[in-house]
Order: sequence, then structure tokens, then C-alpha cells
Amino acid sequence: MSDARSTVLVVEDEPEIRRFLRAALGVEGYRVVESATGRRGCIDAGTHKPDLAIVDLALPDLDGVEVIRRIRAWSPMPIIVLSARIQERSKIDALDAGADDYVTKPFAVGELLARVRAALRHAVRPASGGLVLHFGDAIVDLEQRRASRTGHEVHLTPVEFRLLATLAKHAGMVVTHRQLLTEVWGPAHASDTHYLRIYMKQLRDKLERDPVRPAHLMTETGIGYRLVPTA
Amino acid sequence: MKDRSRLVGYAWALVAVGAATLAGLGMQPRFDVVNIAMVYLLAVVVIALRYTRGPAIATAVLAVAAFDYLFVPPRGTFTVEDVQYLLTFAIMLAVALIISRLVESVRRQAAKQASLAIEAETERIRSALLASISHDLRTPLAVMAGASSSLAESGERLDPAERRALATSVFRQARDLSEHVAKVLQMTRLETGAIRIDRDWASVGEIVESVLARLAERLASHRVIVELPDDLPLVRVDATLVEQALGNLLENCAKHTSADTVVRVRAQPRASDIVVTVEDYAGGVSDCEFERLFAKFHHGTVEGAGGGVGLGLAICRAIVRLHGGQAWAERVPGGGTAFRFTLPLEAAPTIPPETVAD
Repeated sequence: MSDARSTVLVVEDEPEIRRFLRAALGVEGYRVVESATGRRGCIDAGTHKPDLAIVDLALPDLDGVEVIRRIRAWSPMPIIVLSARIQERSKIDALDAGADDYVTKPFAVGELLARVRAALRHAVRPASGGLVLHFGDAIVDLEQRRASRTGHEVHLTPVEFRLLATLAKHAGMVVTHRQLLTEVWGPAHASDTHYLRIYMKQLRDKLERDPVRPAHLMTETGIGYRLVPTA
Repeated sequence: MKDRSRLVGYAWALVAVGAATLAGLGMQPRFDVVNIAMVYLLAVVVIALRYTRGPAIATAVLAVAAFDYLFVPPRGTFTVEDVQYLLTFAIMLAVALIISRLVESVRRQAAKQASLAIEAETERIRSALLASISHDLRTPLAVMAGASSSLAESGERLDPAERRALATSVFRQARDLSEHVAKVLQMTRLETGAIRIDRDWASVGEIVESVLARLAERLASHRVIVELPDDLPLVRVDATLVEQALGNLLENCAKHTSADTVVRVRAQPRASDIVVTVEDYAGGVSDCEFERLFAKFHHGTVEGAGGGVGLGLAICRAIVRLHGGQAWAERVPGGGTAFRFTLPLEAAPTIPPETVAD
């Protein structure tokens, strides 16, 4: 297991949830540090220098979003958020505040572990590593600005390239509408969601095998998009 | 708003007195003055019945003034020669007061009745909710308690396949239970108006895609066909809610039709809306069931499986209505059922063309 002995910080106030997280992460070979409060979590993030943090959004002492802001202020470590279904809004706030991904309670452990692996992989080999993307039948060279599908050249516009590059920078993880719009079109267009609807459809039409049921350029309804690279 | 309706009452008071005056002037040559007084009295009665006490009194006062000035000798003055007309005036005022009091008390009664009816309906929903919860929660809880206690108490003595099966069933039941609880909460929030819809431009294609991804496991044994026109316009909706609405329709298919059933998801743009359809070719719903399907806690008689059908469909309908659309079910040729809903279209948003220099 390549991520063996990575340290994972779990900031969660429910002892029963910490119990199964500890078990599941332990079996996968991660070292687990547990914090029962948000303040404790911020301190543990500094003293234990974990490789990744899992933060519950509903903490008794400190808002989960605030915990993320405090950690993000000094560390680029990947952060995965645990949220309840009714916290749709704060989930988006958490992602905009710098969290990298989320899992909605109740979740299957396998789902969380997949997110943890994707986030750690991304942290080891950040943005600059993946200049050539492979997914499904498509190959996109972000540096040369060339794309092809099933061996045939595909023309992508500059905006399409930028959008794809932004998604690729966070490959495997969710990127919010706001993040995408700000990075691709600029802060003035942060709420022009229709730009994304139109350009994502164009990208799917050009790069996905079945644009109606895409396998890589995935929608996260109400939140954003996720580029799922070929495993 | 309230001031306005009060003003309307006073305006009608003027109109009524005016009309009575015109009628009185027409009658004057042939009728006795007492009969003209009756016409004014009629005006007072009509206004007292339709409006509140204020306009009724105003009508009475105006009627007395007009009657006195125009018809009671000496005409053209407010002087009253004959004392008996003072009685006429007093009666008019009394009629106005009595009738408006009667009307007020009738109105109060009606309002009380209405609020009692609402209370009864709320009570009925509450008991249906409790019945639904206890029915749909008890079985999964029993399974979870049984399976997990077997694992805890004799896990080592079970063979691995059995252990895994028990653990998986705890997980599945817990997941279903959590979804059911979420639905009950969602229905309650929809009913109490606690949901704020957060509209933004969304693509029906993307909503379909994300529902199918979310329900992939549950629809794995069904054959799902997606038919979306390439130029489907964007809609301004709360995508998370519409995703739930569509998800509930598809979950319904997964629960109540057998494996290998063909399920077709379609979207068709029309002049002012988009019709989203989920069709299955399983047959089975009788004509009279179609409307009842959407009732809050209706449990489908279709194959008797699952449960809580109504909740999913009722949520779907409530969400669609919040967006100004409609949701219904109908039979399709070939012996299937189509669940449809509409989403209103708005003028398409603009997007700046991409310049090559970019």
C-alpha cells in the first residue's frame, strides 16, 4: 500500500463515528490522530503534521468551516469534509473555504477511503505532474494544448482547455461552481453558472464516449464538477 | 392591502347610495316617499352584508342625508318638518348596525370552522406520518438489531460469506432507513414551507446523469435508456431539489418493477416548459391508482413490495409545484406507466462568444 503510514487527522465529536473511522483507516495502514473538538483539531493539525484531515462539519465548539479556514491558513494538506444531508449550504461553504472533497453521512467506508486515497495521491503529485490527461478514450495534453479521442484530433477552445485544466488540477476531487467560474472566467463571473453548463456539455460532447452518461466529466448536482481520471 | 379593501367598501357605499338616489328620483312621480326610503334601506342592507361596519354606517348616514335632502319636504334642505322621518333615519342606522354585527359573527364562525378543518387535516397527516414511520422503520431496525447482534455475539463461529452477508444487510438497511427518514423530514419541510428554493441555471441532462450515477447500484438490474435531445434548453431550477424529484421517480421504478424491466428517461422541450418522463414497461397500475399514487402516505398495491411509494411521489410533486410545474402519472401504450413532470422554461441566458485571442 503506497500510502502506508500516512497520518490522518480525524476531527469528529461523535465517539462512535471516530471508532469506525479509526478501525477502517487503521486496517488500510494509516496512522490515525483523533480530535473530539474543533479547537483541539486545529492544535493537533499543527503538532501532528498529518498528511490529510477529515473534518466533521457539525462540531460542538467551532464551526467545521472555521476549522478548515484555520488549517488552510497555513497548510495545503488535503481536507475531506463529513457532512449531514441537511448541511448542503455549509458543505459548499466548506469546499469554497478550501476543503478538497466531501462525504455525506451516512456513508459507506469504501466511499470515504476512495476519497482519502484520491486526495493523498493528489497531494503527492500536485498540479504540475499531470500535464497529459488520460481518461476513457481521450488524451489531453494541457501544455501543448492538444486533445484527441480514439486517436482522432479534437479541437478544444482556449476556454475549454482552461476549464479542463482547472478540473485536472483537482483530479478525482470535487471543484465547486464558484471555484471553476472564478478560475476560468474571473471573479466577476463567480455566479454565472450557465457558462459551466454550456462549456461542460461541449467538453463532454467532444471527449466522452457517451456524453449523456459520462464516465469522467462528472456532475455533482448543486455543488460543482469532478474529473474522474482513468484508474 | 387591508386599507385598500376598506376603501373599496366605502367606495361601494357611495355607489349604493348613488344608485338608490337615482332609483328614488325615477320612482318619485309615482311612488310614496316611504317606498323611496325602502330603496335606501335596501342599499344599507346590501352594503352591511358585503362589507364591514364602517361602510355600513357610512351608507346609512349618506342614505339619510340624501333621502332627507332630496325627498323629505321641504326638499332641497336638511330641515325635517315631520318628526316621523327621524324614526326612519334611526331605523336605517339600526339596520346597518344589526346586519353588520350579524355578518361579522358569521364571518368569525366561518374562520373558526376553517381553522378547525386545517387542524383536523394536520392531525390526520401527523397520524399517517407516525403510522408510516413505525411501519417503515420497524422492519429495518429489526433486521439491523438481529444481524448486528449475531455478528457481535457469534461472529467468529459464522463462516466468512455469512458474516459478510449479515454485515452487508446491516449496511443496506441502515442506508435505506436513513433515506426514508430523510424523505419524511423533507416532506415535512416541504409541507411547512421551510424549504427555500435556490434557483440557478441547470441542465436537465446533468441532473439525469447525476441521478443515474447516484442510483447506479439500485438500477443495476434494470435496463435504463436515456433519451435527451441534443439542444435541450437550460432551466432555472433548484437542481438539488429537482434531482431528488427525478430520483424518487427512478427509485420507484427500481423498487416496484422486476429485474430486466426497461426504464426510459426522457426530456422533451415544449413551447414554455420541458416535460421530463420516467417510463417503465412493467404494467400494473390501474387507472384509478394514478392520482392516488401521489397521495402522501399511499403504499402502492403494485406487487406489494417496498413501501413508502407515496412519500417519494408526493415529494416529487411538491418539489415540481414549488418550481411552477406539474407532476402526474399515466398509462403508456404497450402496458407501462409513465411518470411525468414539467419544468417551466425561461428566456435562455446569454454567454459571451469566445474570442480567438483569448
